[in-house]
Amino acid sequence: MLSEADNLADIFRGGLPYFLIITLPILIICSPCLASEFQVMSMTKFDVNGEQFGSRSSVISLEAKSLYTWSTGRHCVLARLMDISISDFNKIRQKAGGLIIMFPDNVQALSNEVKDQILMLEQQMLSQSIPIPVYFAPFTKNLEHIINDITSTPIQNNVQNKTALGQLLLSVNANGYHITVDGQNGVANKNSKVSTIQGEFVPNPFAMQQLETGGDSNILPLILITANLKTFGIINDYPLNADTAVLMALIEIFSKLHTTVSTTPKYRLGFLLSDSGLLLNFQGSKKWIEMDDNLALRNVEFVLCLDTITRSLDSNQPNVLYMHVSKPPKEKTSISNYFKLLKSIAGHHNKNLTVEGIHKKINLADSKLSWEHERFCMKRFPAFTLSSAKSPVSPLRTTMFKDNESYIIEHLVISVKNIAESLACYMYKIDPFSEVFEGHAAIIEDNIRPYLGIKATLQNNDIKDGFEKYLKNVKIFFDKPDEREPDFMFYSSNNPKLNIYRVKPAIFDLFLTFAISVYLFGVYFAIHFFPRFYSLISNSTNIYIRCFIKSSPNALKRK
Amino acid sequence: MTLYHFGNCVALLLPYYFTYKYSGLSEYGAFWKCVQAGCIYIFTQLCKMLVLATFFYSDSSSSNGEFNFFAEILRCSVDIADLLGFALILSRIPGKGHSKLITAGLGWATAEVILSRGIMLWVGARGTEFSWIYIQKCLESNVMLVQHLSTATLIWLFTRHDLNKALKPLVSILLVVTIFKGVWLEGLLHILSIGPWTSIAVKALVAAIIGFCSLNIYACLAQQIGI
Repeated sequence: MLSEADNLADIFRGGLPYFLIITLPILIICSPCLASEFQVMSMTKFDVNGEQFGSRSSVISLEAKSLYTWSTGRHCVLARLMDISISDFNKIRQKAGGLIIMFPDNVQALSNEVKDQILMLEQQMLSQSIPIPVYFAPFTKNLEHIINDITSTPIQNNVQNKTALGQLLLSVNANGYHITVDGQNGVANKNSKVSTIQGEFVPNPFAMQQLETGGDSNILPLILITANLKTFGIINDYPLNADTAVLMALIEIFSKLHTTVSTTPKYRLGFLLSDSGLLLNFQGSKKWIEMDDNLALRNVEFVLCLDTITRSLDSNQPNVLYMHVSKPPKEKTSISNYFKLLKSIAGHHNKNLTVEGIHKKINLADSKLSWEHERFCMKRFPAFTLSSAKSPVSPLRTTMFKDNESYIIEHLVISVKNIAESLACYMYKIDPFSEVFEGHAAIIEDNIRPYLGIKATLQNNDIKDGFEKYLKNVKIFFDKPDEREPDFMFYSSNNPKLNIYRVKPAIFDLFLTFAISVYLFGVYFAIHFFPRFYSLISNSTNIYIRCFIKSSPNALKRK
Repeated sequence: MTLYHFGNCVALLLPYYFTYKYSGLSEYGAFWKCVQAGCIYIFTQLCKMLVLATFFYSDSSSSNGEFNFFAEILRCSVDIADLLGFALILSRIPGKGHSKLITAGLGWATAEVILSRGIMLWVGARGTEFSWIYIQKCLESNVMLVQHLSTATLIWLFTRHDLNKALKPLVSILLVVTIFKGVWLEGLLHILSIGPWTSIAVKALVAAIIGFCSLNIYACLAQQIGI
């Protein structure tokens, strides 16, 4: 076919169209290559008591704009976490098409004001339902560059003059970015469950026989220590579970006392760890209290709830431990006695830790409880919460940002030591100024550090193994949402990929076409005038050859 | 970016068609000859690849931005096969006068554009992501057309016995310069860290100088033998 063709046009008269039918689909299948790709984390999405929280949609395919230039629902805002104020966020939440937030490189290096602002924003995001898709991206140089680019372009636009030609050139020169996130809309996870794990110390049977109870440990008064395992914050991850670490450290410390006959206390010590406290309205402990086969909730001395035992972000604050109660404790009650012990021990051992009591009534009209001890108080158990947060609405309780870990551990050791000492003094009725945990029983960082990174009750069975190693009566309960009226609901989510494409406006392509056609005209004329150029060169070389021949007769001879 | 952008990039390759149309090739019906030249290009590249894969240590370090001088010299020494390919085209494909050289150069350059840029343009320039690289590659192809035309001329001059003896070394030097362009020109651009646009301009300048020199020599010889 080709050999007969004398011209380009002849080819198309032959069988070429049939070949094209085969090759064109193959070419179309070759999909265009992908651009800058970033791993992003989707915002959490969950329901509690019929209320919706978190980002409710997930697909983005919009033009990227900075915090200062976005205007419509066709724009996706791309910004740094530090730059977003709460009012900005509320506006974006209502009108923009999507939001992508880049985390700071190093939270610790930020100033205190910025940290506070981040915490407030985080709390604001967690306290409402957000109709637009929200994603979080870890810090990368590439993304930083893109954010700088979209932020700086409009500023230049404003500075320069406003002539029509200038505007046209600017719009041709402008860089646009197109964002796509192919996240699937998370569906309600039918297998959502909240796990709660319990365990207690059973006194040494030899020690029990010496007591008058005749070996039945169940009639001893119960001290219950509870904590929440945070499994999610604004994203489906929680980097630092300090409360869990404190609980596990307390188990480890008191197990030493329980194994020796001489130091077996006349109290039962129970432990309870439930998933995701504040955000899920303490669902785990609620279910646990209502259950029958839990630790015999009889003869309860008091319930000690641990909540945000250390400040994970602004560590410059003085180390204060607040004891939150729902009604002021009367004299001679267990809570009042414990409070006095804790206060005097803190004052005696550590000069930089102070203990303060705070009283807040339970507001039954609120849909959400403020503290975990309120769950127990409503069932008429004496309960209180130890926390480093002064107010129940402190954003520190749900933040997923953390400071330097060694600093946190340092604080945790002090807190654990105080709680353990005060509990020991309470149980053995000894003088608060004598130290129980010293020498080989001293509390060191290694008691706490292994438990800091725990993510979930069932992951690696770390918690279950820890409970089973020291405690008896260990049980795990799972609370599943009711099918008709779910108390809570989780959504399956995966962390999708964010693609950012650099695009140019349509006018740019037109401009390019114009430039190319000018260039092609140039080439066309160059080729047209090439014969003339060639004859010019021929003439000049002719002259040169003649000169050459004249000057060297040898060359002529050779020819 | 869009199909329109792809169209823009392809439009930049129109000088190939102009060369074919307005240099008189279309009047000679040299299309099939150009295709043959392209086939010889493919054959040459296959041979080169075989040699490279068999005898040369593939150094992956040059891929991450740094310029490996020694590896480039080795690689360029294989490009001598290109010259053999040109010689093969010139000896096998019949043609008369200027059109013979243009057929060889144009066929070679067109095959190179289609094979080495075609997929990249189709996949990349149509994609959502905008990049100047496609426009740059297309402009560079125009430079390569001039380059290949002058290479064809130089090879033809090199094979002629009636070339003036005084010009023979010049032709050889120009050929060596052309082959080892990958070493000295790319190395220079790399050392001076010249941007993509400027490097295209520099390449165009170099190609124009080589082209002008070979045109002069060619004109000289053509006068003598009277084409």
